[in-house]
Amino acid sequence: MRYLYVLAGITLLLLPSFALAGDNTPTPPPATMVTTNKLGPERIGNLPPVPVPPSNPQTSQKILLGKQLYFDTRLSKDNTISCASCHSPSMGWSDAGPTSSGINKQLGGRRSPPVSNSAYNPLQFWDGRAPSLEEQAKGPIQNPIEMGNTHLVMLRTVQDIPGYADEFKHAFGESNLTIDQVADAIAAFERTVVTTDSPFDRYVKGDISALTSQEKKGLEIFNGKGHCTTCHWGGNLSDGRFHNLGAPQTGPLKEDNGRYDVTKDPQDQGKFKTPTIRDVALRAPYLHSGSDKTLEDVVEFYNKGGGKGVSSLDPMMVPLGLSKSEVKALVAFMTRAMTSLNPEVANVKPIPPSDLPK
Amino acid sequence: MKKLCIFILIIAGWQFLVPETGHSIPAFARKYGYNCNMCHTSFTKLNDYGQRIRDNGYQLPGQEGGEKNVFDTPPPIAIRTTTGISVYNVDKGTTTGFDIMGLDLLAAGVLHKNISFMFIYTPRIDEPAADFSGPGNGTNPSQLGALESANLVFSNIVPGALNLRVGRFEPAYHPISSKRSYYISEPYEIYTFTSPSDTLLPSNNFIFDDNQLGVEMTGHFRNGFKYGAGVVNGNGANPDNNTNKDFYLNLFQTFGKGDGQSAGQRIGAFAYYGWQPTSIPSPSDFVVAPTGEANCSCNKPFYRLGGDVSLNWKTFNLQALFMQGMDDKALNVFDTNKDYKFSGGFAELDWSGLWNNRLLASVLFNMVQPPSYDDSRTIKAYSALLRYYLGDWTAVNIALHAEFTHRETGKDDPFKENIFTALLDFDF
Repeated sequence: MRYLYVLAGITLLLLPSFALAGDNTPTPPPATMVTTNKLGPERIGNLPPVPVPPSNPQTSQKILLGKQLYFDTRLSKDNTISCASCHSPSMGWSDAGPTSSGINKQLGGRRSPPVSNSAYNPLQFWDGRAPSLEEQAKGPIQNPIEMGNTHLVMLRTVQDIPGYADEFKHAFGESNLTIDQVADAIAAFERTVVTTDSPFDRYVKGDISALTSQEKKGLEIFNGKGHCTTCHWGGNLSDGRFHNLGAPQTGPLKEDNGRYDVTKDPQDQGKFKTPTIRDVALRAPYLHSGSDKTLEDVVEFYNKGGGKGVSSLDPMMVPLGLSKSEVKALVAFMTRAMTSLNPEVANVKPIPPSDLPK
Repeated sequence: MKKLCIFILIIAGWQFLVPETGHSIPAFARKYGYNCNMCHTSFTKLNDYGQRIRDNGYQLPGQEGGEKNVFDTPPPIAIRTTTGISVYNVDKGTTTGFDIMGLDLLAAGVLHKNISFMFIYTPRIDEPAADFSGPGNGTNPSQLGALESANLVFSNIVPGALNLRVGRFEPAYHPISSKRSYYISEPYEIYTFTSPSDTLLPSNNFIFDDNQLGVEMTGHFRNGFKYGAGVVNGNGANPDNNTNKDFYLNLFQTFGKGDGQSAGQRIGAFAYYGWQPTSIPSPSDFVVAPTGEANCSCNKPFYRLGGDVSLNWKTFNLQALFMQGMDDKALNVFDTNKDYKFSGGFAELDWSGLWNNRLLASVLFNMVQPPSYDDSRTIKAYSALLRYYLGDWTAVNIALHAEFTHRETGKDDPFKENIFTALLDFDF
């Protein structure tokens, strides 16, 4: 009987410490937002309607204005870089990489994340430092190696263009141009860049002929032995969360702390946000610094269980044991089946300078 | 044999009739929308990812608090059943049967961040009518009604390092789980081996792979080290009729990436020390069978010691276990002057192939070596199986299963049995 008393005592001692441990677990505010907004994993499938913040409702005037700003190099310090320079519609809304080139041909440290479907991301940038598309849009303008401008100078430049002044007044009803209006307009346009019609989407809707036999095998592996849906879940095939895959660091940065730089939580060291799988074949190279050139390289990277010698490797990373034919099927699924067919997005053409407001 | 061929053909043909994208679901996979092989190398065996989820209290590792709990999801209920043909052959003849070989009702899920539960009930399945008399007038049901598992898990009391499981559960001391073995008609013999029993003499009825009632602590670390330690009743019964508690400890180390289930290499050791009742105190010192006991010196010790290894190469997995057992001489019905000592183990080689591991092949060797005066219970068993999983179902699993075992019991002129089983394994 004394054992029972000892057991009961241990349990009573442990339970309060458990409760305390739960209360004291450090949770960075943005991560709380993520878990609050999106509990998962959710089943992979079609995209839901685009979430629009009440503070920035979609209007046709605002979307058009945002599109013009998106393609306008005059937002940069030396009139050479626009949003589209690094997030080009023809390159899966990313660029050729491995990392992006800003003003004066300066190289950025990370791969250009895709703008397409970014409206579904709870947090923006690889490290999630922007909580919305609006906040994200403000960043590159004053980043010294991207557009290299200041918000003030950029606003003066735009305000001095009569065509823009009229359009801003039309879109926002105010004549005083603000950085929030610029960001709102760009974000409104970006919320229209949604790729909803891929062979995968058609298959999910019931068109079983939309995928080839090999792609169906790839889908099965994607959601099974390949473990892809551990992170690439939901309609956007991204959990919007942060993981340390042990991806090799290449490019100009010798070290990249990733999410840690935002939260200062040691557990976030080397973590980067999960990108969407939609249109992934259009935007090689891959991973946060573009270290893997092809989808095959990425799958092999995962097949080996991620990077080597990383103490904080995500515990969901395990070797997969995929055979060569399974790798091929998985790549086939991600290549054609996940590539958008909806022309209203795929055919977005850059607005030539001659057509921009004057 | 003709009937068997027809059965297999019907089942094989069925896969072409059912849709490939059925999306009805079960407990965990229903919640996550996963294919079974997200967590299983091939159902039923856990892969590294599934093992980490189990170790983390049925939560995705690193995602605690970021997933739906059981109140936000459809009822977390699952069923597993196996139905099929068995052919049993011995020297004197052959018998065949078409049976339901098992049925599990399972519920599990996360109640709150770091608090989860597991519940498994196995109903009696011997008769469709409710008289429950069963074969042999109820003395030999094909499956007992039993509460196999009912436990709460408190995870990450110290992140990763301390997790607590309370209730009836599958203890950590047998890392090669018999509950998730591919083999349906052939057990891991050393797990089920007991010293001889006698209705009038005390003996040890402890079965190594029975679920246990008690408390277990487990921990897993990033360097690949794991431990499990527990205090349990030992006889698994409720209400408890064993005043003395049993203790166990097991330690594992994994080398390389993975958890040793489907990747990486794992080595482990385990020890179980228990007390078995031999009598109840009475004026006449009446000896009873080993159920019921009290605070007295009549509880006699026994132990099980062993080691295990799990080696992986590509989609091959070789797992082996060796165990020694000792029951106190008071529990030895042959000779109360000698401790009853035995040893044994098994080695199993599994291979998974085709896409998404739809095809499974496995061979298993079992061996048990009792003491020389009990060598008529020496066991050698050779088994092989093939298993094919039909369709890409999210959290629904239907597999064709064919299994053969040749078993020899006894050292000289052993009793030989051949058991062939072809069945449908269905889980949803």
